[in-house]
Amino acid sequence: MSLKSYSRARAVHVMLVYTGGCNGCDIEIVNSILSPKYDAEQYKIFLTWNPREADVLVVTGPVTKFNEEPLKKIYNAIPEPKAVIAAGACALMGGVYKNIHGDIPSEEIMGPVDKIIPVDARVPGCAVRPEDVLSGAVAALPKLLEAK
Amino acid sequence: MDGKKKSSGQNVIETEITMGPVHPAALEPYRVRLFVEDEIVKDAEITVGVNHRGIERIMEGLPVEKANSLTEKICGICSNVHIWNSVMVAEKGLEIEIPERASYIRVIMGELERLHSHLLYLAHGNEVLGHETFAMRIFYIRETVMELLRMIGGNRVQYGVSIIGGVRPRCELDEMRIQKIKEGMDFIEEKVAEFADRFVSDPMVMSRITGVCPIPKKEALRLAVSGPTLRATGVDMDLRRDMECYDPFDFDVITLEGGDVKANLLMRVLEIPESVKIIRQAIKNLPGGPITDRTWEMQDTGVIKSYVEAARGRLYHSYRLEDDRVRGSIVRTPSMSNIGAMQYACIGHHITDAQLGIVQCDPCFTCTDRAIQIIKL
Repeated sequence: MSLKSYSRARAVHVMLVYTGGCNGCDIEIVNSILSPKYDAEQYKIFLTWNPREADVLVVTGPVTKFNEEPLKKIYNAIPEPKAVIAAGACALMGGVYKNIHGDIPSEEIMGPVDKIIPVDARVPGCAVRPEDVLSGAVAALPKLLEAK
Repeated sequence: MDGKKKSSGQNVIETEITMGPVHPAALEPYRVRLFVEDEIVKDAEITVGVNHRGIERIMEGLPVEKANSLTEKICGICSNVHIWNSVMVAEKGLEIEIPERASYIRVIMGELERLHSHLLYLAHGNEVLGHETFAMRIFYIRETVMELLRMIGGNRVQYGVSIIGGVRPRCELDEMRIQKIKEGMDFIEEKVAEFADRFVSDPMVMSRITGVCPIPKKEALRLAVSGPTLRATGVDMDLRRDMECYDPFDFDVITLEGGDVKANLLMRVLEIPESVKIIRQAIKNLPGGPITDRTWEMQDTGVIKSYVEAARGRLYHSYRLEDDRVRGSIVRTPSMSNIGAMQYACIGHHITDAQLGIVQCDPCFTCTDRAIQIIKL
């Protein structure tokens, strides 16, 4: 392991962006990183709210109309190398909010997330479990560490 | 604060400070505009609407069972109370008597959810205060409640306990689960009492939160505040006393004076033992028998309304049933009525207290994004 990836692996900063889901995934992710039980900080994964400091972007929610532009802006503000985790059923396929009637898609929902920004890791669940969030973060790590 | 009447909407704009829609201090996307003069907030404006997903529109024309489970997705914090109230609407309209055991299990779930919501509020409040140690302690206690919720409902956030006519069969409480709940309640009561001692005897925290952003009783009533935020201003109002399913239980409604950040935080601390008390009584007197009544028949109804006391305040659901389908659904969530209080609490205080003033009203802006009509009085 090169010095660069060695040092990168010791400070992975996760930024959480919330794009209009039900708040469940959101709290579970904050909980999994901050709370004493799941404590992702022991694996050197930290929560940040500054996109210029972040390495990993965690997106929850089905991306409502108003949140599309801010999401793109935040993605562009994160320096390379970066990874994106889409967490929760809403971020993966629009959840219950998109297309519930079968043939009438909702106009409010612009998601899923991979239509808007490239996604590297996907965490399923409604709401996501903290254990899955941690394994999702681990799955996104190689992209950060192997980048030049 | 001096005795002058605070008023919003005046032309005092000096500097405008905008936060959001994405901001570190607020987990959820919403926008606050603070009009500041000499670091004193002169006016505040909260804009919601970023998360609007149109759940009422999606519910239109769905089968009633499907619509009920959809209401759970309105909010990830108070999800159980939404499905509970929505199911109660249908039960009122179709005149279904649910079994007593089912009613007890619903109350247990409702109170467990109140515990987890209040603990989350305390953790978030302490984090905004800057006291991360307290926040960590609270998250640690909250994890016990989450485990109990996962044990009963099968999921940590959205449990789907209530169905029309009772509760789901998988949420039956057997001996093992009752024992686990008993142990959990003992743990929570002990740890919360410890926390309360440390919290109240910490002079730094107390001096930071005493008298910050108060809401007087009169203003709270004028702004139609509900829930613990209203009770913290001294108004004795709790819908749980009027709800049928809470009739067998003995509990106190706690009121505090002042309506400042201290009163609001202590309000939640003091409500936790009351919830524990209700859960203990429910477990002790849990009646036997079936948990689901499946003998009901679907029929068309007029508009049915139902109120319950959620963890954050008063929750309202209404719809009518037509050909087995839901029509004209209306949801009114507690944070909706508390927005006025959030704006009011910031005015006249230092800008560093503005976030505290908003957080003290226990905001949940995902619930709040409904299609509403505001009538100015």
